[in-house]
Amino acid sequence: MKKLVALLLAALLMLSGSAALANVADEVALGEAMTHEELLEKALAEEGSFVVYGNTSRIATALEEFTALYGIAGEANNLKDAEIYIKLETEMSGGAKGADMVMIQDGASLKSQALEMGYLVNFVPASVKDSVGEEDLNPLVQQYINKVFIWNNLGDNAPAITNVWQLTEPQMKGNVIFKNPESEQVNMNFLVMLTSPEWSDKLAQAYESLYGTPIDLSGYENAGYKWIAEFLSNCTFGNSDTTIAEDISQESAQGKIGLFVLSKLRSSSVYTDNLTVGQYKATEEGTAIEPFSGFMYPMYAMVTSNASRPYTAMLFIEYLMTSEGFAPWGKSIGAYSTNTQVVPNEGDLGIDVWKQTLVMEDPDYILDAYEDVYSFVLKYLQ
Amino acid sequence: MQRAKASPAKRTLGALKGFFSKPANVILIVFLVALCFLTLYPLILLVGETFTVHAGREARATDQLVGAFTTYHFDKLLFTLNDGGPQGFTLSNSWIQFYEPLMNTLAVSVTASFIAILFGGTVAWLVTRTDMKYKKFVSAVFVFPYIMPSWTLALFWQTFFRNTLVGTGTANGILAAVFGVYMPEWFVYGYFPISMVLGLHYAPFAYILIGGILRNMDANLEEAATILKTPRSRILRRITLPIVRPAMLSTLLLVFASSMSAYAVPVFLGSPVRYYVLSTKMMSLMNTYPGQGYIIAAVMILFGVAILAFNQKVTGSRKSYTTVTGKSGQVSLIKLKKANRPIAVALLVLMLLVAVLPLLSFALESVTIKAGNYSLDNMTLEFWIGRDLDYLDQGDSNGILLSPKIWRALGYSLLLAVTCSLVAGTCGVLVGYGIARRRGSRLANAVNALSFFPYLMPSLAFGAIYLAMSTRIPLLHGFVLLALIGSVKYLPFASRSGVGAMLQLSGEIEEAAVIVGVPWWKRMARILFPIQKSSFLSGYLLPMVSCMRELSLFVLLVPTSNTILTTMLMQYSEKGWAQFGNAINLLIIAVVLLINLLVNKLTGASIDKGIGG
Repeated sequence: MKKLVALLLAALLMLSGSAALANVADEVALGEAMTHEELLEKALAEEGSFVVYGNTSRIATALEEFTALYGIAGEANNLKDAEIYIKLETEMSGGAKGADMVMIQDGASLKSQALEMGYLVNFVPASVKDSVGEEDLNPLVQQYINKVFIWNNLGDNAPAITNVWQLTEPQMKGNVIFKNPESEQVNMNFLVMLTSPEWSDKLAQAYESLYGTPIDLSGYENAGYKWIAEFLSNCTFGNSDTTIAEDISQESAQGKIGLFVLSKLRSSSVYTDNLTVGQYKATEEGTAIEPFSGFMYPMYAMVTSNASRPYTAMLFIEYLMTSEGFAPWGKSIGAYSTNTQVVPNEGDLGIDVWKQTLVMEDPDYILDAYEDVYSFVLKYLQ
Repeated sequence: MQRAKASPAKRTLGALKGFFSKPANVILIVFLVALCFLTLYPLILLVGETFTVHAGREARATDQLVGAFTTYHFDKLLFTLNDGGPQGFTLSNSWIQFYEPLMNTLAVSVTASFIAILFGGTVAWLVTRTDMKYKKFVSAVFVFPYIMPSWTLALFWQTFFRNTLVGTGTANGILAAVFGVYMPEWFVYGYFPISMVLGLHYAPFAYILIGGILRNMDANLEEAATILKTPRSRILRRITLPIVRPAMLSTLLLVFASSMSAYAVPVFLGSPVRYYVLSTKMMSLMNTYPGQGYIIAAVMILFGVAILAFNQKVTGSRKSYTTVTGKSGQVSLIKLKKANRPIAVALLVLMLLVAVLPLLSFALESVTIKAGNYSLDNMTLEFWIGRDLDYLDQGDSNGILLSPKIWRALGYSLLLAVTCSLVAGTCGVLVGYGIARRRGSRLANAVNALSFFPYLMPSLAFGAIYLAMSTRIPLLHGFVLLALIGSVKYLPFASRSGVGAMLQLSGEIEEAAVIVGVPWWKRMARILFPIQKSSFLSGYLLPMVSCMRELSLFVLLVPTSNTILTTMLMQYSEKGWAQFGNAINLLIIAVVLLINLLVNKLTGASIDKGIGG
């Protein structure tokens, strides 16, 4: 009897869950065909609280501006990506109301934990459809963020690298600073990508161009694995990208190089003058860092499948895709709107240049290779 | 026939009536049921998670459907010892992910407990049992490290001791920059500083628990021994130590369990030298392979249970710990004589180092624009009282004292802390009464163990499970959810001090009142509570302080990251908004001290003197 009741309850829950899911997906399909005015009208007609999760703190500023513009108040919640995925899963499986929309990084988790499970629904605003590249439409990327090689330019031993294999040389031991890939998924994703056929080939070529001899894999599966092993062995791990930026910019940090978020250069606690951004230098001199000068990861914006204010969520996503909506991020370097209508930041390179010189995430490859590369990486974190 | 049938039923009914006429039994039964639901049920959910396939990478790795049964997590985490290549098991997945971190965790937790008991116990003894000078100051300042969120103490350690020869080797901390002293790596990062920081952070547990007992202990025992010309060392060994043994064991249990699930301290002090513990592994696994993360949580709980069982065995035996009886006792202070001043001064210096120096450092960092440059033109009060600070790009446009966001969070934090303290504290007194009166019975032992259980749950896992529970139960969200988990999580503090205090009370005290027909609640409110007021109040204050500076328990459950001060602080720490972060940290400490002062003025009790003096 008890079992029966439990089964019935479970079935009921699933039914109500999938019903809500179908609803939001339908609404989003309708919303994609609407003009801005129609969206706005629908959004203004909605009631209840509007909740947003984001793993960027500036979403709060964006939401404030949004409120000022449309008079729709909301609650912005800044959480780490892992926390957002946990919250989504528990809230959805328990049928509880959480967020109406999320802004989140880590494409591999997005795909396997949120999209495949139907927790999030993709929405492309009609107004920006034509000004966003095909590859950024599904799932919709609101912006890209990059982590690049930046070094201390003081003294005569500045590690002005032109090839990433230089980072694996013995004299660099302890001088390379990186956030432990175990504590931030996008860092791990970057390492996983290096083992892909595309990047391991490029790494093998870069090796040959630096040393003049073909790479000797000596037991490693490919050049990507070899670079990861030797790079991580030379790394010291910092606690956050901010402290890494601050630390490397110190006068006492000569000879140090880091791989961290470019936007940290804006921080008032960093001695920006003491730092050189590898790619900036390369672009200036018309050269390149072989085969990449860092990596770039997307920040997605999506509607939740249990949103109680789906049209407000859609309106907000549309807003985030505009210049005004992007402004909280756009005021400093290191953030790139996918909307080609949004003017890039002064003093920064355009998104196209970065896309060519940085390692980009491929969620499918990451998910396929993750377990193997993760086990491998762990051995070099010891 | 009829009669014979009725009488056993009647007898049972009578027995039941008799059973429930005793308040102690009613209390124990109520708590047994409530605690089962609040702690055992989450535990069962947790165990379930360790056999379940989760969405994402686990589903890929196992090639199974989400929600299916699997032993993959156990195989991978515990039994993969053969993939280490030529280096053998030391580079195998299980060794890296589980066994080595486990050994590190045990080493750190044991050392931290030892430091806490030794340091806190010694100071407690000096303050309560000797005529040492500067007691008041020592007593007041000793709890500072506990009031600070533990990771801020770790950050202080780093800012103070770091230098260009260790870790990232990029900058000198205060000690190296100002005094030219370069500490070796083992001192700055890894096992030693993690143990020290945790030990110092939790030493007030020992101080409060052991001090409370020492202060209330019947001096007749020691005096009798003195009259019989027993040497001091022998008195200490045969009388004092055995009396404080339950408190020492309680401390061990608390510090061990806390150290084990401490997450932020090992991250800040361990990761630069690649020193990993279970909690850091758990956090990163939760994100990718949560099943394995839940196994680690379960293992931590198992270790906690083992110590709990040990504790139970020692205090649960038939020995009596009654120290407060109907007879009066006068505490006579041991005269330190010539040693007084040197001991007092040494202790003062130590206090300044571990309790006051961090505060000064926080204050300094909250006004410094660029880290490491302590010249005046690099300083500003903007982070405290500035307006229109958008240009700084540090997360807030107002200095913290002028920021509505901060005041709202402070109000919420306070309300939450006070609620948790009232609920947990009162339950603690009741549980203590029930257990003490029915001491040794199975029911009392069960409630005693259960009431301690929440503490063994790693905060983050506990939070995750409560989040899951909240989705199944209406009304369980927002403030109610936070208050519930806070009360449950900190009930152990209150129940420990409640049980300890009640066990000290001889039954005769209550019996006199029972004979003249004083009702139960009056006996509690007028007799038992006043006698052990200081111990009980520490049972209220500890949950409050702990709540004020709690992070990982609440982080998944807060409606927004700006809801309470600590989630806000962690966000600022992580974003590297150091000045605001340090200012908020000081604000938290100041508020707790203020409350402490207020309680002290109103009732004469305070955190440090659960102990008096």
